[in-house]
Amino acid sequence: MGLRDNRTTGVVAAPLSREFSGTRGRPRFNWTAAAMIGPAVLALLLIGIYPLIQAVSTSFKLYQITKPYLGTPWVGLDNYQTVLKDSLFWSALGRTGLFFLLTVPLQVALGIGVALLLTATRWKGPAAVTRVLLVLPIATTPTVVGLIGRLVYNRDFGVLNWMLDLVGLGPVSWLGSARAAMFTIALTDTWQWMPFVALVALSGLTSVPPDIVEASKLETSSWWETFRNVQLPYLLPGLTAVLIIRTADILKLFDMVFVLTRGGPGVSTELVSVYVQRVGFRVFDLGVASAQAVLLLILCNVLAQAYIRLFYREVEV
Amino acid sequence: MDHSLSRRRLLKGAAVGAAGVTAFSLAGRPTWAAAQGTFDYAKAAESFKGIEIGAPFLDRPGYAAAIAMLPEFESTTGIKVNYETIPYENSREKQVLDFTGGTGQYDIVLVDVVWIGEFAASEWITPLDKFTNDPALADPALNLQGFFPILLESFGTWNEVVYGLPFDNYSGLMYYNKKMLADAGMPEPPKTWQELKDTYGPALTKGDQFAYALQSRRGETQSADSFMRMVWAFGGSLLKPDTFEPNLSSPESLAGLRFRQDLKAIMPPDIVEWDHDETVQGLAQGRVAVINEWSSFYATLANPASSTIAADLGVAFEPAGPTGKPAPALGGFSLAVNSQSQEEKQKAAWLFIQWITSEANSKKYIENGGVSGRQSAYQDPELQQKYPYFAPLVESWNNYGNPVFRPRFPEWPQMSEIVAQTGSEIMLGSVPVEEGVKTIEDQLRPLLEPYIKGDKPKLQ
Repeated sequence: MGLRDNRTTGVVAAPLSREFSGTRGRPRFNWTAAAMIGPAVLALLLIGIYPLIQAVSTSFKLYQITKPYLGTPWVGLDNYQTVLKDSLFWSALGRTGLFFLLTVPLQVALGIGVALLLTATRWKGPAAVTRVLLVLPIATTPTVVGLIGRLVYNRDFGVLNWMLDLVGLGPVSWLGSARAAMFTIALTDTWQWMPFVALVALSGLTSVPPDIVEASKLETSSWWETFRNVQLPYLLPGLTAVLIIRTADILKLFDMVFVLTRGGPGVSTELVSVYVQRVGFRVFDLGVASAQAVLLLILCNVLAQAYIRLFYREVEV
Repeated sequence: MDHSLSRRRLLKGAAVGAAGVTAFSLAGRPTWAAAQGTFDYAKAAESFKGIEIGAPFLDRPGYAAAIAMLPEFESTTGIKVNYETIPYENSREKQVLDFTGGTGQYDIVLVDVVWIGEFAASEWITPLDKFTNDPALADPALNLQGFFPILLESFGTWNEVVYGLPFDNYSGLMYYNKKMLADAGMPEPPKTWQELKDTYGPALTKGDQFAYALQSRRGETQSADSFMRMVWAFGGSLLKPDTFEPNLSSPESLAGLRFRQDLKAIMPPDIVEWDHDETVQGLAQGRVAVINEWSSFYATLANPASSTIAADLGVAFEPAGPTGKPAPALGGFSLAVNSQSQEEKQKAAWLFIQWITSEANSKKYIENGGVSGRQSAYQDPELQQKYPYFAPLVESWNNYGNPVFRPRFPEWPQMSEIVAQTGSEIMLGSVPVEEGVKTIEDQLRPLLEPYIKGDKPKLQ
């Protein structure tokens, strides 16, 4: 058993493949595969690629829809220059980075912890129920999470302060001060997305052959050694996917934060997506907002590549 | 083609019409009410029967009142009004996207007082003379003069052209809990801001109970309800009226904003996160003694089902600042017709707007929880007795209303974002008042430049 770096193996999903009949034969188009994959590709082109091309195109234009008299002339890289010089954009991006650091490591640690507990427990019934319950926060619409959050965190009427009051604590102004508000949205995001990490980690742990775990226990009595050398390698592909998905999620996290704090108080929870929405749909400068979105897409891709290089390893059995 | 019949001409026409009808009534002919009865909505809508029109509504009492009245309109005219209830924060966005995308979702346009400039200048809404000049569509009892002038001027008119009729009408009022005040030995509400802070504040702020709450959540609530309220109350203003240069660094404006910081001592600590709902509920649940809120929330506060203090609810003018006069916030919405809608739908939309804002329906609208913009409704003794908010509301509109409480030109939404962002940072104490004001002025100046230079007419 060992780890194999799979970056250069060129594993390809081959959505629309060609069949070769013999080494010298002409490639023959596989109509069955095309018919099966075609609708998905078409849907992707319509709802993913076409809007993306539109956004890129808009990012090179003056596009202020509330000022139709200005027209939509081509302005080259002006919108990108505006974004790169915009201190509010950078500070929003900085807050988003802070939010990422507050949430993702905690979610990964807690998620793995929950998965380990569920794997190790002898109470199979409660473990099965817990697995089902883990889906509930993920399935809840972010807007609804925000609305429930406003009730839960309300300083005067909220259930959280009521519970704190029962044990003689509080009241805490969860949404009313800058630091607390950032902590509160991080807490809410962790409540919603930690279960996702737990489920991914759980699937990784269930793929660890039990005899290898048993063998490692004969080698060492240290739980940590077993986890680090035996179980963690099986978790890394899933956790890399988690990192990529959560990074993209956090860069576009809007609904929950907007409903919960509207980016406030002040700008304390104005994450970059909230700022992009403000430029796009309050100021209606779609050219600049598109440039911001394109830059975030590039950032997301760069980070995804970095995660794959840094963390992604496949287990070689 | 000149679309724009001036407001003056329109009013003049209405006045002549009114005089004519009055003369009729003097001669023993139909009175105003009877004249209203002569307009047959069923006949006017004959060719639109079965037509469906879209309308954006808010989750506020005035819209609930209109919804309660819809069946009558629909059964009379055969026109179906498909209303969509959307949050205020998204209402401009949704409508602008509808206009610019040409999706035709809304035939009726909801125009906030601060959007009229943007919507009219972009020609997204139709001048109403198109309908008022059409005898088949215009109720002879339309009587534009019957609206409170400040409402028709502010919510419905841009550059002297009438685009919308006042529908959901607000003035800032002071609501208070009579019992809490009486228990603290103060049977009367505060007359001045200073009195509120210095006398009522200490007496009514105890533990988890607060003397006052000023809704200040980031957004229009921060920029209008909180920031501009205190600027005007102390004699300041956002702009210098002659030059349109920012005026927030004037001694009066700064005094108002400094006073707002002082008020924090008697307000809930998380007040920067309080929107209208939290503020109304703060009073309704007995946690706060005094608030300044829109007239439209009277229905919520006076309803025992939604308010524990309904029996103890008091209503008065907003407190006065150093100028000696109250400077209540002015807000509200008119209903207008989408200029991109099909011709038939435009006419159907107009019929609904005319009907729901008519004098004949104003009493019903009020009794269903709305706040009418019709002067005649407030002269009804029966209603006056039933609704104690009438007197302060009418006086606020007639004597203290400020049509430029917020500028109505197209740049306001962008300016509001700037004011709301730094305004809430000032309130939090993370930026000193003077520094925050300088930041706001620096950011506002480029937007105001065309007005300052004279490239754009100084309309607000």
